[in-house]
Amino acid sequence: MVMNAHIRFNNLSVVYGRKPALRDVTLEIGKKEIFGIIGPANSGKTTLLKCINRTIDFVISARVQGEVFVGGEDVCRLRNVYALRRRVGMVFPLPVGLPLSVYENVAYAPRRAGMHDRHELDALVEKCLRQAMLWDEVKDRLDLLGTRLSGGQQQRLTLARALSHRPEILCLDEFSIAIDPVTTMKIEDILLELKQEMTIVLVTNLVQQARRLADRTAFLSDSRLIEVDDTETLFTRPANRLTERFVNGEFG
Amino acid sequence: MFRLRACAHDCPGRNGGDTDSHATLADAIRAIGSGASPAADGSRPGAGPPPVEILCCPRGGKCIPGKKPRHQFFVNARATGSGGDGSELAPWWGLPTAADELLRLHRAGELDLDAGQLLRLSHREVFTASSLETWKKTKETIAKYVFMTMALVLVIPVVAILAYILVKAWPVLSPSFVLDNPRDFMTTGGIWAPLVGTFFLVLISLLVAAPVGILAGVYLNEYARDNWFTRTINLAVVNLAGVPSIVHALFGVGAFVLFAGMGRSLLAASCTLAVMTLPVIITSTREALAAVPMSFREACWNMGASRWQTIRTIVLPNSISGILTGVILQVARAAGETAPILFTGAVFFTPVPDHGLASFVPYGLGDRCMALSMHLFTLATQVRGVSDELQYGTAAVLIGLVLVVNSLSIGLRVYLRSRKRW
Repeated sequence: MVMNAHIRFNNLSVVYGRKPALRDVTLEIGKKEIFGIIGPANSGKTTLLKCINRTIDFVISARVQGEVFVGGEDVCRLRNVYALRRRVGMVFPLPVGLPLSVYENVAYAPRRAGMHDRHELDALVEKCLRQAMLWDEVKDRLDLLGTRLSGGQQQRLTLARALSHRPEILCLDEFSIAIDPVTTMKIEDILLELKQEMTIVLVTNLVQQARRLADRTAFLSDSRLIEVDDTETLFTRPANRLTERFVNGEFG
Repeated sequence: MFRLRACAHDCPGRNGGDTDSHATLADAIRAIGSGASPAADGSRPGAGPPPVEILCCPRGGKCIPGKKPRHQFFVNARATGSGGDGSELAPWWGLPTAADELLRLHRAGELDLDAGQLLRLSHREVFTASSLETWKKTKETIAKYVFMTMALVLVIPVVAILAYILVKAWPVLSPSFVLDNPRDFMTTGGIWAPLVGTFFLVLISLLVAAPVGILAGVYLNEYARDNWFTRTINLAVVNLAGVPSIVHALFGVGAFVLFAGMGRSLLAASCTLAVMTLPVIITSTREALAAVPMSFREACWNMGASRWQTIRTIVLPNSISGILTGVILQVARAAGETAPILFTGAVFFTPVPDHGLASFVPYGLGDRCMALSMHLFTLATQVRGVSDELQYGTAAVLIGLVLVVNSLSIGLRVYLRSRKRW
């Protein structure tokens, strides 16, 4: 158990039609830690993330049972989902540059939330792009369409956008799938810095990435939470046989 | 006696090419490998060396090979090293390899040649088309020309109709024909009044149909969940699109002329046209919206944007070209329809002012009006003594109107498409 839980899943179950995606998951994620989630394909990792900012609502066939507390409030009963989503930044596996300029991509969320002052926006856009290690590459062409950037740049743009509404939780879903190793290492360094400011939930297929970054790691398999522990313990002395086989690359 | 031959295309012929005679099959094969055969000289660049054949001749008898070889192998005579299995797709590399492999097969008892039978070793470069690939190319060509023919067949009637009408209408086509009102029971004069009538009919029907259709399309594509209500609306839209225009006319009489109390008027006719064009506007709007990738919407929602903010900032700006194209094409259709306005507001003839500002706005919303399509119908069937030229002139202006509107739509599409941003 964590002293200072930021996110708490309480007996959370999700069903897509008849197919269970999460079965009775109870889990706590502490403040300002990097929390790794690993597991084979179809084990419910992405579903878990979607429950945090309630984007699970957009999956029509999904039924959610249980509770998800973010900062002490049950988000399943929340009326104002927009406020929730502003507190949570999401980065998905495939980079999505919105068909707007690079500047407007990053300024999108602040504008929608009512920030219109040009100077404030300029400063925020620069800060987010710097945090995402993209500023040096795009500072001279902020009018360029976001969709024209390369794949790795678009993924960093996605990260900058996720940071643009100053979230307190950053969720990354296999962010490194579509980008090259060098960019991946750059972003990993950024994450270690961002940890000072926010809680980071890192879903990854690369177990070594979780080992490098995460303070604690959870292992999901077949839509169940198998084990959660300090990363070092989970990787060296896992309590569960299944976990041991997975982190050693024997299955999954 | 085995005869080793290297010959050009007419190989199976009696005396084609140079020949060497060998006593046994093994000898003949070795002769291939030693490079003694003419195939190895490679003196014919581009075409590749001709095939090498071993023909089994009866001792002393005539040597006439059958058409098909008993054994067929392939070799890339220019390649070196070893590789391939002698098949068409993986030829042996080089004649020495081929000879080794043939000898091995011969020793294994898999090569036997009776009198008159043939073993052919064809040359095949890596990128030479196999028989399958040649057939593939042929089919490709056939398919292309079949489709092209159909496209041309489609164009011919359009060009023919346009040319015919233009030639017939040429004598009357002049600015005054367009700008004058019909006179003397429509046997002389121009088509200004019906032209203005059509313009207002289309304009008002557009003002009614476009907002309703576009907003309904946005709802159906962006908000509606897949439930019985949505499915019912979809069914209604599809069915509405299939209703014949004369039925729309009767509906217009019932709903607008009688029930809504508009009487037979410009407004009632426009509303009927609007109902007729709605389903296609809805459908084209939905298709244009559906073409915007879902990932854009999800990215926005994840940042806390509402559905409406997402639609306004991302979805609509990137689908507006498709939506407008659908709307404009419906304008062209509405301009040409006769049936829906027949009972609801269009008349054969109504006196209109000839001059001044009033001639530009000759009808009020509650007035009956003339329309081009109706005018053409009248000229052709209802009035005696109208010259052919006048009828063709009217048709030409109507078609011209449709063409102008369609070109406008294509132009707009090209312009907006060039600004599309992904």
